[in-house]
Amino acid sequence: MLAPASDMPNRVVPVLASLALVLIWWLDFGIVQPNRIVPGTGYGLVEAIGAANSAGLSAGLLALMVMARHRFRARFYGLGALVALLLMWQPILLAEFADRQLPADAAYARTAIGAGFWSLLFLLGLMAIEVLSQLPSPRGHHLILVALVLVVWGVCVAAGRLDSLSLVTEYASRPDQFRQALTHHLALSLSAVLCSLVIAIALAIMMMRRDRWRQPVLATVSFLQTIPSLALFGLLIAPLSALSTAFPFLQTLGIRGIGWAPALLALVAYSLLPIVRNTYVALSEVPDDLVDAGRGMGMSERQLFLKLKLPLAMPIIIEGVRVTTIQAMGLTAVAALIGAGGFGTFIFQGLGQAAMDLVLLGALPTIALALAADGVLTALGQVCRPAGLKANG
Amino acid sequence: MRVFIRPCVWLLALLFCASFMSVFEALFGWFQPGQTSLIYQRAGFLSLLQNHVLLVLISGSIGTAMAVSAGILVTRGWGRDFLPLASQVASIGQTFPPVAVLALAVPVLGFGEAPTLMALVLYGLLPILRNTLVGLDGIAPAVKEAASGMGMSPTQVLLKVELPLAGRVILAGVRTSVTINIATAAIGSTIGARTLGDPVIAGLVNGNTGYVLQGALLIGLLAITTDSLFEALQRTWSQRLLAAAVAG
Repeated sequence: MLAPASDMPNRVVPVLASLALVLIWWLDFGIVQPNRIVPGTGYGLVEAIGAANSAGLSAGLLALMVMARHRFRARFYGLGALVALLLMWQPILLAEFADRQLPADAAYARTAIGAGFWSLLFLLGLMAIEVLSQLPSPRGHHLILVALVLVVWGVCVAAGRLDSLSLVTEYASRPDQFRQALTHHLALSLSAVLCSLVIAIALAIMMMRRDRWRQPVLATVSFLQTIPSLALFGLLIAPLSALSTAFPFLQTLGIRGIGWAPALLALVAYSLLPIVRNTYVALSEVPDDLVDAGRGMGMSERQLFLKLKLPLAMPIIIEGVRVTTIQAMGLTAVAALIGAGGFGTFIFQGLGQAAMDLVLLGALPTIALALAADGVLTALGQVCRPAGLKANG
Repeated sequence: MRVFIRPCVWLLALLFCASFMSVFEALFGWFQPGQTSLIYQRAGFLSLLQNHVLLVLISGSIGTAMAVSAGILVTRGWGRDFLPLASQVASIGQTFPPVAVLALAVPVLGFGEAPTLMALVLYGLLPILRNTLVGLDGIAPAVKEAASGMGMSPTQVLLKVELPLAGRVILAGVRTSVTINIATAAIGSTIGARTLGDPVIAGLVNGNTGYVLQGALLIGLLAITTDSLFEALQRTWSQRLLAAAVAG
């Protein structure tokens, strides 16, 4: 990829910042709802957070535009710091909005985030991505920025400053269910990934040993991947319920037509392709001269595999696990339709009751889990690069 | 044209099942002895299939048009500044689960076909954008220089050299996007879009395994038909490129 030279004036940040400036003044910043279902009244920027805060926010965005046009050395650090500060200011602004506009006497009233605020968050996020991609080593800065922003949001929630926020209210009315959904979601998706990791590595080794296995195995796992999730979950219900009727002891294990059993089976089936493909490609692409060198040093076949091939293939295998884990986090949400629990339960319950905050309470953690899995496994992939490969870039 | 035989066979199977599902009534009756309603009746399977295919086609066309033009814009001139951001967004965006995107479209557009279409367009964009960027960026600069050296204008270079060369990669992106969108459109019936997901959801709610199977069977057949069609398209594209290379 051709990156623009970092001493040129940056055009991306000014475009995003001016868009943000237009949208925060044009769209509603916050909404006050009398209760859970009734749509609320929207408040513009000045009504929501007051003239001083509005001016400050606009000044911050203007400063981003000006700074991006200048060509001093450390400007991307400056831009990064300013974007981070603006992101950290957002929960405080939301709290300010609640203080100003939430009626004190209405017990069920709640505040919701308006379209203007969402746009601002989204555009600030894009600016953060742009600025980070211009910094020399994006990973470290990336972590610092995410951690700082999360800490400020966390402190605001923990201190009760955002208690009236609809999302927090939804959580507060079902903390146990939320914890249970989190446990189920993680347990289901991670155990599917672990199962398919074991199966996939076995399949890849089999394909390495006997070439005639290669075509049918790859064809089968990519066929499984094309079947839509809802169809696969549905198709597994009948055989599993037939099984559990025929063998009642399976029911005591919780294996029924609906629930975790069909969900786990389907998730494992979906998870196979990325891992099988990556493991096979990585293992078969270990250079022959390295294998010969290992043999020459007197390594046995077992040692060759464990000490040479596997470590060399590890980064690519982990990349497959990353793709699979992200996919499993999302599909587990769909599995709630067949009663497997997890955050999908909130999504579909919320859709059924037309309670959008409940939908958000399911959808946002699902996205967060996928992003977290992405971050953790990308980092793991970098840590696992063998020393020899690191030197080569 | 022999490559198109397989998709045609799958298509026939799909249309047969959608038109004459009642042929299998005895089968559904056999494993659901107590059930009185065996075949999903609330809507014809053919009309559900049509709606499903339309949703995927419309979102696919809009998504492809948007993604390819965005990909072209950020690989030349003024737009090049946006290239790192576009490729980052395309890869970060794909970590978002499709269900979550679908769910988040509801607060914006309410229930029905519109939010489903929006989610399908937005999510379907990303794989196509990513592959367009990979395809256009992967062309050796020497090839483009040779083309402009032959007197081609930048538009001609784009239309006659870059897009045909990147086409196979872009087509692979469209295939990924359509595969995801067929699955997501099926889940769209939870937010009120009329698709082949309807029988599955209705069956899950009422405990009627027959409905679930009928919907699942048709969704699966639709996915397989589409995938084998793309397989055939990709093959013919490569053959044409090869033929052009041999002829030129």
